[in-house]
Formats: sequence, structure tokens, C-alpha cells
Amino acid sequence: MASSQSKALYWTVVVLRLIVGGVFAYAGYLKLREPWALFAMGIDSYHLIPFRFVEPLARTLPAAEVAIGLWLMTGFWPRIPSALISLLLMVFFAAMVHAKIAGQQIDCGCFGPGDPISKWTLLRDGSLLAASLLVTWQAFRRSPKKS
Amino acid sequence: MKLYAALLLVLLPCLAAIPEVDKNKAVGSPTAPVRLEVFSDFTCPHCRHFHEEVLPQLIKDYVVNGKMYIVDRAFPLQGHNFTREAFGYAVAAARIGKYQPVADALYAQQANWAVNGNVWGVVAAVLSPADQKKVQELSKDPGVQAEIDAEFREGVDSGINQTPTLILTANGKRFPLPPAPDYRLLKSMIDGLLPK
Repeated sequence: MASSQSKALYWTVVVLRLIVGGVFAYAGYLKLREPWALFAMGIDSYHLIPFRFVEPLARTLPAAEVAIGLWLMTGFWPRIPSALISLLLMVFFAAMVHAKIAGQQIDCGCFGPGDPISKWTLLRDGSLLAASLLVTWQAFRRSPKKS
Repeated sequence: MKLYAALLLVLLPCLAAIPEVDKNKAVGSPTAPVRLEVFSDFTCPHCRHFHEEVLPQLIKDYVVNGKMYIVDRAFPLQGHNFTREAFGYAVAAARIGKYQPVADALYAQQANWAVNGNVWGVVAAVLSPADQKKVQELSKDPGVQAEIDAEFREGVDSGINQTPTLILTANGKRFPLPPAPDYRLLKSMIDGLLPK
């Protein structure tokens, strides 16, 4: 019974790892297809980051999302990518909640332009964050050799 | 014949993606490589800031050298008093080539007419008596309201829910921009879209 439960948890985490990594990589890919300045405007619209950091972030974050997302999907050393994704998703989610509370009518910027912050985007990113935290927790609970 | 049909099939989606413009509400050359559509409302303070601070800079940097074509689009916000009337006069003034002075006056005097409702007083002050008569008559033309409605619908269809919203078009691709972008980022975006 305990074995079948742990097997179910194992496969759940594998599936979630693929989903979280895949979504993260896809989000980065969509941003890479657009001009970097468009994503920079999206970051700047949150008014949370000093302007001098906006351009470097806009130029590097999409490629990093693709790289970390693909890394998590491979299952190789999952502690690092899962922790990084969880950390990034916590920052993104906090920024979105802050914007929503402040009444800012801005795009989430999660999957490129045209995605205004709403209850739906918060639910979507919140679910992704919950899945990512579960994957991270499991990655740290297991032996580093196993995924 | 087959070649023409194929070309038409390829070009039609591009033509559909770039809506018709009222040339009297535009500045620059229609053949410029980048087009900027500005969906704005005469009662919106951010639109006033854009019109008075950002637009002259864009004209200086990109319109005078033929790199950009800027088109004003009507996006009258719901629940804002007198904005429809203001757009009616502005579009009517556009029909006699007087859009820019009327738009400038409406933004400059925004704080007054948006409160006291004396829209016509502001518009009349920048027109000759003959032009005043023409604008009064044209503003009653159903075609003027139809143009405002069409541009508003176009904005809604493009996902616009606030003003000013800027949409850049280059190489047949449209880029709706986040609200009130920093000018340095806007410049980087435009420079990136211009042919090298």
C-alpha cells in the first residue's frame, strides 16, 4: 500500500516536473520571439525594478527561462532548476499580486504581450507555483542521484 | 494569372492586419517603415502627457526623417463626460485639415472643458469663423460618429482597455505596447523594428 502510494507520488512529481519545466521553457521561448524591448516595457510597467536593471533582465530572463525549464524537464540534478523556478515563480506571483492589489491594469508578461493580470492569470501562476514547490520539495527529499 | 492569385492570397492578410487610416489624423509619410497607432481619449490625463511630451519627441526623432507614420485613433472611454462631443469636433475638423490645432487645444484645455462641458468654446477658439461653421455642420454628419465608433470597435478588438495604448506595426506585424512605456524603451523598440 505504502509502496503504491510512493509510486503514485513519484509519477505525479515526474509529470509535474515535465509540465512546470515545459511551461517555463515555452514562456521563455514566446518572449524570445518578440523584440526584447517589448518585454522590457512589460517589466517596467510593474514599477518594481530600478530602470537600470530592466534592460539586462529583459535581455537575459527569457533565455534563462528556456534553459532552466529544459533542464528541469531532463530530470538531471533537479534540485537546482526546481529551486530556481520556484524562486522565480514566487517573485513573479508576488509582483502580479502587488499589481492587482494596486489596481494596475497591466499585462502579466508571463507569455509575452496581451495577457492582462486577472483572477485567471493569478490562478494559473499560483497553480504553477504550487506544482513547482511540490517538485522542489520532492527533489530535496530524495537522494540527489534520483530525479 | 495564377501568380497574381497567389500574390493576392499572400497580401490579403497583410492588408487586413493594417486598418484604414484617416490621413488627416496622421503625421508623416504613409510609406514609412514603422507605423504607430495611438488610441487615446481627449479626457485622459496620460493621453495629454503623451500628446504634449512624447509625441513631439517621436516626431522629431522619427517622423521628420521619414521613418515613422503616426496615426491618431479615437478611443472614447465609457463614462467620461463630453469626450464623444470632443471627438465629434476633432474628427469633423480632420475633414477640413484642422485636426492638429483642434487636438492640441482640446488637450491643452482638458482640465477646463472636461469639467464645465464647454467643448465648443475650446474648439472654436482655434478655428476661423468659416471653419467653425464647417466643423459645426460636419460634426452632425452620421459619418463622423460612424468613424469614431469604428475606431473604438477596432481598439476593443485589439484588446485595448485603457488609454493611451500604442500599437507599433512593422513588416506586417503589430505590437500592442504596455501602457505609458518609458521613452528610452520605446526608442529601443522602434530602432529594432527599423530596417538596418
